[in-house]
Amino acid sequence: MKKVSLVHLKPNHKGKVSEIAGGAGLQNRLMSMGLYVGKEITKLSYIGLRGPVVIRIGRSVLALGHGMAAKIIVETE
Amino acid sequence: MIRKIYLIGNPNVGKSVVFSRLTDVHVISSNYPGTTIEFIKGYLSLGDEKIEVVDLPGTYSLEPSSSAEEVAVSLLKEHSKDEIAVVNVIDSTNLERNLLLTLQLVEEGFPTIACLNMCDDAVHRGVHIDTKKLEEILHIPVVSTCAVTGVGIKLLIKRMKETASVSRDKLPHEERWKEIGLIIEQVQHLEHRHHRLREMLEDASVRPLTGFLMAAGVIYTSFKIVRFIGEFIINKITDPFFYGTIQPLLEKLTLHWQEKSFLFHLLIGDLVNGKIDFKQSLGILTTAPYIEFGMVLPYVISFYFVLSLLEDIGYLPRLAILLDNLLHRLGLHGYAIIPVLLGFGCNVPGILSTRVLESKRERFIASTIISIGVPCVPLQAMIIGLLGAFGGFYVGGVYLVLFCIILVLGLILNRVLPGYSPEFLLEIPPYRFPPLTILARKLYFRVKGFLIEAVPIVLIGVLVINILLYLKLFDIMTGVFAPVIHDLFGLPKDAIVALAIGFLRKDVAVGILAPLGLSAKQLFIAVTLLAVSFPCIATFIVLWKELGVKYLIKSTFIMIMISIIVGTLLNFVILR
Repeated sequence: MKKVSLVHLKPNHKGKVSEIAGGAGLQNRLMSMGLYVGKEITKLSYIGLRGPVVIRIGRSVLALGHGMAAKIIVETE
Repeated sequence: MIRKIYLIGNPNVGKSVVFSRLTDVHVISSNYPGTTIEFIKGYLSLGDEKIEVVDLPGTYSLEPSSSAEEVAVSLLKEHSKDEIAVVNVIDSTNLERNLLLTLQLVEEGFPTIACLNMCDDAVHRGVHIDTKKLEEILHIPVVSTCAVTGVGIKLLIKRMKETASVSRDKLPHEERWKEIGLIIEQVQHLEHRHHRLREMLEDASVRPLTGFLMAAGVIYTSFKIVRFIGEFIINKITDPFFYGTIQPLLEKLTLHWQEKSFLFHLLIGDLVNGKIDFKQSLGILTTAPYIEFGMVLPYVISFYFVLSLLEDIGYLPRLAILLDNLLHRLGLHGYAIIPVLLGFGCNVPGILSTRVLESKRERFIASTIISIGVPCVPLQAMIIGLLGAFGGFYVGGVYLVLFCIILVLGLILNRVLPGYSPEFLLEIPPYRFPPLTILARKLYFRVKGFLIEAVPIVLIGVLVINILLYLKLFDIMTGVFAPVIHDLFGLPKDAIVALAIGFLRKDVAVGILAPLGLSAKQLFIAVTLLAVSFPCIATFIVLWKELGVKYLIKSTFIMIMISIIVGTLLNFVILR
């Protein structure tokens, strides 16, 4: 097990959210969209050059800006 | 006793389609979050009564995070709970995420009915939901619907009376998600499916390499289709009609009129080589209808056809992901591409839809960029119609200049304005293929909206211009502005009339340029200036309403500066 940010998680790999290093506003916003500590996600892609990261949570697909993705830490194999 | 019905749900679950079904009021719906930015009202006949139905902007929870979400939540709390019914529209293909809002609504004591929409799509994707079980767990009525075809809507209306306040403990979000997990286990059954073509295309469009290739393909094809349909309508329908039917008719009618009479001047305008020229005569019966129906309308139809198709399929949010990078440097984020694309149709809906952006700073940048660098369909149709005669090279040049203006302006605004550009966070919808009838309806309403707005202004505009020209009142203005227009921009003095009229409508303005006999270079400069200078009056009013006077003045100042700089640069440096 190692901890990496969503930016560094490899595409097509799974991870479990272990920390969201943002303010309460961001935490609440992500929480209401179904992304919270303990949730399992799959990374679909990273556009590159500080572009967005795309992940799958359950049946939703979510795109997050680079800065936001860097704040989300996941545990992975 | 229900006095008001609210439709609430996550973004992009089809609330507006349900609303149209309930009330017969047409509203624009698309396959991306945030199509509805303001609440919309209509009426539902229930027995002998007429009940007001309100379609709210989408929200993920009852704690709002954007101005559109705030609208939804504050309206919901306007009436006492025993007088309303809340229809919670849910995307059946994604029950889990939708249930957070449902639980919140029930916990807050809103009399709620759950509407499991898009049930046909859920079945296609192998998602089966036990609605009876869900009803037992939540203690609220649950109805499956497919709003685009109308399935289940009658039952939804019938069961609306069963809504009542239910008591349920209020939970923090973490606990709610745990509970939702348990509910899902009981009511949802997923059939295992292999990846099919649709899912493969969905994934490919958000990966870097395949994504950009697909985007290039989609954009190129869209341009081609817009041009093909537009030209087809012009060459096969409108031109034969104007030149084959209208022209002989007008010539017969006016055979005995005096060419120099005032009435002739107003209705027919000036003859070119003794004949009516629809592009140049500038009469109420000649150029006015030809501009709107013969030049602009064909492209309005073809543009909105392609845009509506892309909207409904759900491609646009994917484009937003790919462009986030670039737009971030302009102080925006990827989602700003949607207001910009809408702005290519008409700047007004484009600027209105900047409400999906979070901060005032972003909205100011996006609105300013749209009103300066994004030409609307009427203007584009005229650019193609007039400048296209000199070759596609010039038309492409105008777009290139506008694109460069957007880039430079965005980079500067992002540097100069205090604040930062917020992060992109967007749910990406699956591809959907709604029935063609829905697409046709949407196209019909958009074209009708265009005609209602454009036709009276064009007729009045041409009338007023003709009277002013006849009385030679423009001469004062041309005298004052001659130094700028002639010495800086290299245009004939009379071109100022066109630029001034551009404030009324851009297509009328280009119509005035036509008889001036401009060279390719002059026409290039004139249409570019028309695009970047003042927006038309409708856009101006929307800018004022949306941004306030202070920002409007800033925006206007930027427009004037850019017009002068770009006009001069084009004249002396680039096109020398």
